[in-house]
Amino acid sequence: MKGWQRWLVVALGVLLLGSIPPVLAALPATESDVTASELLASVRSSDEVAFTGYAETVGGLVLPVTQDFTDLVDLFGERSRLRAWWAGPDDWRVDELTATGETGVFHRSGASVLWNYEDSSATLAADPVVRLPRAADLLPSALGQRLLSEAGAEEVSRLPAERIAGRDALGLRLVPSDERTTIDRVDVWVDPSTGVPLKVEVYGADATVAAVRSRFLEFTPGAPDPEATWFVTPPGVDLSFTEVIDVAEAANQFAPAVTPDELAGLARRSGLVSIGSLGQYGRGVTLLTAAAVWDDLSRPLRDQLEGTPGAVIDENGVYVSAGPIGLLLTPGSRERSSWLIAGTVDAATLAAAAAEVRQIPVPDR
Amino acid sequence: MIRTELVKTLRRPRTWVTILLLNALPTLVAVLLALTDLGPRPGSGPAFLSAVLADGTLFPLAALAIILPLFLPVAVAVVAGDSVAGEAQQGTLRYLLVRPVSRTRLLVAKLVAVIAFVLLAVVVVAAVAYVVGSVLLGDQALAASVSGTVLTPAQVAVRTLLAIGYITLSMLGVAAIALLLSTMTDSPLAAALGALAFLIASSLLLTLDAAQTLQPYLPTRYWLAFVDLFRDPIFWRDIVRGIGLQAVYVVVFLGAAWANFTTKDITS
Repeated sequence: MKGWQRWLVVALGVLLLGSIPPVLAALPATESDVTASELLASVRSSDEVAFTGYAETVGGLVLPVTQDFTDLVDLFGERSRLRAWWAGPDDWRVDELTATGETGVFHRSGASVLWNYEDSSATLAADPVVRLPRAADLLPSALGQRLLSEAGAEEVSRLPAERIAGRDALGLRLVPSDERTTIDRVDVWVDPSTGVPLKVEVYGADATVAAVRSRFLEFTPGAPDPEATWFVTPPGVDLSFTEVIDVAEAANQFAPAVTPDELAGLARRSGLVSIGSLGQYGRGVTLLTAAAVWDDLSRPLRDQLEGTPGAVIDENGVYVSAGPIGLLLTPGSRERSSWLIAGTVDAATLAAAAAEVRQIPVPDR
Repeated sequence: MIRTELVKTLRRPRTWVTILLLNALPTLVAVLLALTDLGPRPGSGPAFLSAVLADGTLFPLAALAIILPLFLPVAVAVVAGDSVAGEAQQGTLRYLLVRPVSRTRLLVAKLVAVIAFVLLAVVVVAAVAYVVGSVLLGDQALAASVSGTVLTPAQVAVRTLLAIGYITLSMLGVAAIALLLSTMTDSPLAAALGALAFLIASSLLLTLDAAQTLQPYLPTRYWLAFVDLFRDPIFWRDIVRGIGLQAVYVVVFLGAAWANFTTKDITS
């Protein structure tokens, strides 16, 4: 074999190896004549479907918040790798993998064990009424079901099918009809046999890059091994108990205010009527949360927001947007609480909400 | 031919000096941990280092995590870069080729010798770390997996052996790249530095979001996947991809080394 023939063999080998991934990616997905409404209905009835899977989420949001919310910043601003064992809404485990460790949530019967390998800690906590988003919420299955849970039939349409996690997934697009929302569209690809969302992309207005993207890379329907969702405290680790699972719950317990039943024209979300200082409003992807917060939480947050490029400061407080998420913090002082208002609504709606909550009497500290 | 190269590798003082140096840093780290009882903060430091204070038998994994990003690939690049270029620099390559052995077999023998060196280095580092960790940091009957489940000593031992095998395989790409460069130059230093430049570029691109489409193909992409062997259940996805990727690097770069070496005029 001559020299040039040897190099030709090597070049052909490289070409062959290099062409495998794009060829596999270009394999067409099988379409279906299922209507958008039928697909929406199958997603809504899929929360009891058991599965195991591995998903990756990518957040493109740079949230201008402080050390109390670093988990939230990581969750919506970085890439997360998630393993899930899902027996049902009340029996599941989701692990967030990192290069050098793992944090896991083992959830069963209204309580969760939070495992952190690098901290060597295990914490048992009852499910709070209100909490901040966590990694498990960004699983395509949970995120898709949540975003589509209140969609109207007139808001959805079909998208071409895609191959996701080795399965033919049918596409569904939600374009919210409420003009107050900052969400432009939500694209979801659904496993036709189970109705479980396998890929979700959330786009803000005028955005070409998804604000949040989540997709399964491995997905196997069927009940997981029961032991996989059961946490046994390992040797050398003490299982601790906590009543306050995160800042959202702490704010709910300790700030002395009563939120109204309607805010900026948005109705309070059902199931949260009894909550005092923290209210959630809206429908579908048009959501608004208002919370009365003390100075030790609001002061560093205000400093952070006021230093954020593009921040708008006026009589309502300081307003900052991060992709489709808007945050507004009303004025406050050491004795007087502020209102933190956040949501996927436009600046005018946030300002209207701020004007309303500032009229609510809150005792000084 | 393979036996000759293996014996040559084992008889070289440089082999043992390199392995000794690879053991130095993990041993120093174990001594410091034992003296201060201060582990790294969560999320910082090499994998498993925060766990060894509770269980010193996990120190082999921490030691491998310490040498994996830099020291081990440097050693592999030096050894592989020297394999052909070193012979050329010393003027022994043409005498080596006088023997009735094909250049292809010589090349394969050189690669096998490099792999044997890597395996030897990784096993010695793990063994020394086990002794050092057990003596200085103590042990406990049962260890926690990364996922929080209980691992028996037997499970830890089996998974550690798998990690040793995986880390050895992870060095194949570096070895193949250095071997190709070693056939292209008479300078072992140039070959080693060329391979290291490739690895530094790979590590840099792994940190860039803009390079996401390239990242699954970078040689360092799956190096830390040996941690996945200690999750429960074992997470095979990245381990399988890591092995496959190293196989591709060996096929491509060893193929290029073969195409270059078998047609090259050897004058030194």
